[in-house]
Parts: sequence; structure tokens; C-alpha cells
Amino acid sequence: MRVKLLYSTDVGALKRVLAQKGVPFDPEALMNHVVYMFEIEDCSRVTTHQLVRHRAVSYDQESQRFSAATREGVVTPPSIQSNEAAYKAFDEALKTVYSSYEKMVAEGVPKEDARYILPSAIKTKLVMTLNAKSLMHLVWQRTALQAQWEIRDLATTLHALAKEATPEFWTKIIER
Amino acid sequence: MTIAVAMRRCYSTKTIEDIESELEQKGAEYWKYLLTKAMQDKSLDVLEHFTLTFLVEGTGEAEVGALTRAFPYLHSTRLNDSDWLVSLNARTLVELWRDHRGKDFADRIVSELDSRGTCPIFNELAFGERVHAS
Repeated sequence: MRVKLLYSTDVGALKRVLAQKGVPFDPEALMNHVVYMFEIEDCSRVTTHQLVRHRAVSYDQESQRFSAATREGVVTPPSIQSNEAAYKAFDEALKTVYSSYEKMVAEGVPKEDARYILPSAIKTKLVMTLNAKSLMHLVWQRTALQAQWEIRDLATTLHALAKEATPEFWTKIIER
Repeated sequence: MTIAVAMRRCYSTKTIEDIESELEQKGAEYWKYLLTKAMQDKSLDVLEHFTLTFLVEGTGEAEVGALTRAFPYLHSTRLNDSDWLVSLNARTLVELWRDHRGKDFADRIVSELDSRGTCPIFNELAFGERVHAS
């Protein structure tokens, strides 16, 4: 998985406006005004299904209606990767699924219909925009030990990138 | 450009760096084409990635309160008696501008964007009627 911060609010500009008005800088009062836009590549659709449960966020995701799916483009969970028998079962199932997908596309079935057979493990790409309040909630929930490994990795990376760009807003969140 | 990146993300398998270079190479006319398509198709979700924050001066609590109640994605923080920090995304700005409850406020924002020369392609396509009339 690869995550990139494409944009974040210029906190320096916010500080200048507040100083001009004689208002002290209070990150907690400004959480709705600080926004981040991230690009996420090569995470599974399992994880994006979990991600979109966070509502006050804008998402635009690569469409499978038009892009072709490939066998290489799947995320394999470590518990499957490290278990020979499990990996064999996983790999065989994928071979069957992709063979059927390619057969259907070759038969003239539109990609948007052939994709109904594709697995949730398939890799995807998306852009996501959210404010500091929503991101803090996402990080708080999805870095918990009960969260699944892939979205936990994602939330940890989002946290690190946001903290690097706007450290003032990430001083109080509990580091897990 | 932010909106164009979001649009291309939906239909491209390229990496973000490749999408960004493609958009740089193709230039403003291509961004205009993409944004026109989004507006025509009413795919306003891509506008949500372009966010704006303003200092709004000389405005009473009644006006800002009415706006934040009517438009839940408009966020405001009171700085003092009549000054506010207001944040919204481009989709909310379009919705304000199309709604009689938000039109005056949206006009003030669009005038400010015009005067600064900020996002001229978006302004022309989303608020062209107003821009041409002025």
C-alpha cells in the first residue's frame, strides 16, 4: 500500500488571520477548518469498504467499470501468505476467478458486469479528503488493536502524514 | 487541478504522479473539459476535494447560524462579535449559490475568489452567469 498527502490546509495562514483578529490559536477550535487530501494506492477493497463507513469524508475511487482486473493486483493477508495450505487454496481460487473473468471479457461481457466475480482482495486506488476532526476520529478508531491489520496500517500512515504536515493538530491524540 | 485529479482517479489505473504529470502536460484546457463534464453530468462529488477557508467579517450570528443549519458541510467558528472563520468545499459553494438561502453569501465568496484570481476555471464554469453579468 502507498499513501501520499496531496494537500493540507496552510495552518500558517490560519494563524496569521487569528493573530490579525487578536484571537489565540486553539487547534481544537479549528479542527473543522484544517483539511487533508490523500491518495491511497494498492489497498484492498476489503479495506475501502471499511474506510467508507467514515461518513464525513469525500472519496473518489478507481472504477472497475472501465479498468481491467489482473491476477497480480490483489492483497494477500499475512495469515494466508504464511500458511502454505491456506495460500494454495487462496491462489487456486484466484486463478479460477481470474480465468472466468478473462473468459467473460473475451466473450464480450462488459467489464462492468464481469467484475461481479472479482474478489474483495483486489487492489484499488482512491483519493480521500477530510478535515482534522474526521481524520482524528478515523485514526482513533482504526489504529485500535481490534481493527484489522490493513486498515490499521492505513490509519497509522494517515496519522503520520497528517502529523508531519500539521503537527499542532496532533499533540493530544493518544499514541497507541 | 485538484478537481481534475479526483476525476482522473476514478477512470485511470495510473499512479497519482502519472495522473498529475498528464494533467500538467495537457494543461488548463483539459482541466476545463473535465470540469465541464463533471458539471454537465452533475457529478459534483469531485468538487468536494477542493476546499476553501475564509475570514468573514461584519456578519451577524443570525446569518451564519442560518447558513450552517441549512448547509451541514459549511463549518463556522466565531472569532469575535461579527468575524468568523468559514470553511466549505466547492460543492457546498455551488449548492449555496444555487439556493436562495445561500445565494448572497455565495456571491460574496465568488467575488472574493474573482478579485484574487483564485481558481478562474472553476469560477467561470460554476458561476459563469454571475461572472458574465458583472
